[in-house]
Amino acid sequence: MLDFEEELKNFQPSMEIGNVEDAIGREDLTDMTDLMVELLNNK
Amino acid sequence: MDTGMRNRQISNAYYNVGLEKAKERDLTGAVQVLKKSLRFHKYQTDARNLLGLVYHELGEVGAALAQWIISLNLQEENNLAEGYLKALQNSPGYLDMADQAAKKYNQSLNYARNENEDLAVLLLMRMVEEMPNYVKAQQLLALLYMHHEDYTKAGRCLFQAMKVDRYNPLTQRYMTIAKANTGKAEVEKRKLKNAFSHRQMQDDDIILPPSYKENTGLQSVLNILAGLVMGVVVVFFLVTPTIRDSIVSRYEEEIRQGLELVNQKSLQIDELNRKLEDASEAQQEAESSLETMVNDSGSVISQYQRLAQILQAYRSEDMRTAAQLYVETDFSVLTDGVLDEIGSWVQQDMAANGYPVLEQMGDEAAARGNTDQAVDYYQKSLQINGGNIGAIFKIGMAYKNAGNVDQANEFFGEIIMNHPDSEYAAQAKEQRGF
Repeated sequence: MLDFEEELKNFQPSMEIGNVEDAIGREDLTDMTDLMVELLNNK
Repeated sequence: MDTGMRNRQISNAYYNVGLEKAKERDLTGAVQVLKKSLRFHKYQTDARNLLGLVYHELGEVGAALAQWIISLNLQEENNLAEGYLKALQNSPGYLDMADQAAKKYNQSLNYARNENEDLAVLLLMRMVEEMPNYVKAQQLLALLYMHHEDYTKAGRCLFQAMKVDRYNPLTQRYMTIAKANTGKAEVEKRKLKNAFSHRQMQDDDIILPPSYKENTGLQSVLNILAGLVMGVVVVFFLVTPTIRDSIVSRYEEEIRQGLELVNQKSLQIDELNRKLEDASEAQQEAESSLETMVNDSGSVISQYQRLAQILQAYRSEDMRTAAQLYVETDFSVLTDGVLDEIGSWVQQDMAANGYPVLEQMGDEAAARGNTDQAVDYYQKSLQINGGNIGAIFKIGMAYKNAGNVDQANEFFGEIIMNHPDSEYAAQAKEQRGF
């Protein structure tokens, strides 16, 4: 009914307050407008 | 239509959907569509701020902070994120509590993955009391309870999770399983009906009145005895276990608290040990550097010591000692701003007056027949003034007088090849013989 090991894979670690700075640095802020500009520039 | 405007429209549409979901407490759904909104237009500040609020409501305070800080960076003016951040900062101890909650959750997850499920449960139990809206923690605790077939407790955790995030798929799935394993008893109870059926009385049925029997003395005694036995049985089977369970439960609670305290202390000890290790390494490194500085003959401190000795020799007008010390000193490491001037003065004086002193000392040693010492002094003179051809010639002569012709010819050759125009070139040829 419940495969414990498989279910544990659904759980990911939480962000601790001390890691907020790193997380902000890693955040991908690319949006559709950025992608389109990039495409246009590559043309 | 301008593409940028279209993206903003799509972003706004997703934001509106996200807002509706958030109002209905479908927080998981809200997170998904708000992220999509930001994918189309990252400057959709309302969507980002709402995403932060949703994360905060789910107990993910770190993620909430990240979104609000990013929001403030993208839009500094008229931004609600500023107020949210101030509210958190102004709540004494809240951020620390949230941080501890995240750490405990992560530690519990680690324990669960490493088959330390009891410790995971202990940590989570205490943590969800402080932060009952921490959905992930409630879900993990429910999973652990279900793994131990305690479906009732699992159900309580899932109920708390659903109060926060009503339509979370994982919560709903677990709740279905928990209900399936706890609902049977109630269902069976409801299905149990009175087994006695009522039949219709016929005309010839006789109703027998209940017979009356007189209680005799023996019967009374027997009745009392039976009552006493029943009482003992009730106490033994019903009361005593309850008391025992209560005591056990109390001790279990104390043990649980004790284990949690041990675990907290254990975490603190691990952290302190790590800091101690780092500090020990830093101390060893510092001691090693200091030892090198103090004991190494080429070290900075040794050079300063020699400079001090040179100055002392100057003060005593002992140029010979000063010159000998000078050639053993590495002035390149003496970069102290204050002593730069002194070092510079010494070097200039030695360049003018130091090398002749050493050459003179070499002459005296050669006159005594001490070739090695003479050569040493001439070499030191050359260290100060490499252009002193006389010193090179005298080295050659010293070797020649000592019978070491090969060595002598090397130095004569040096003069002939590299300083053919000097006054010593002809003499060198003569001494060498060719």
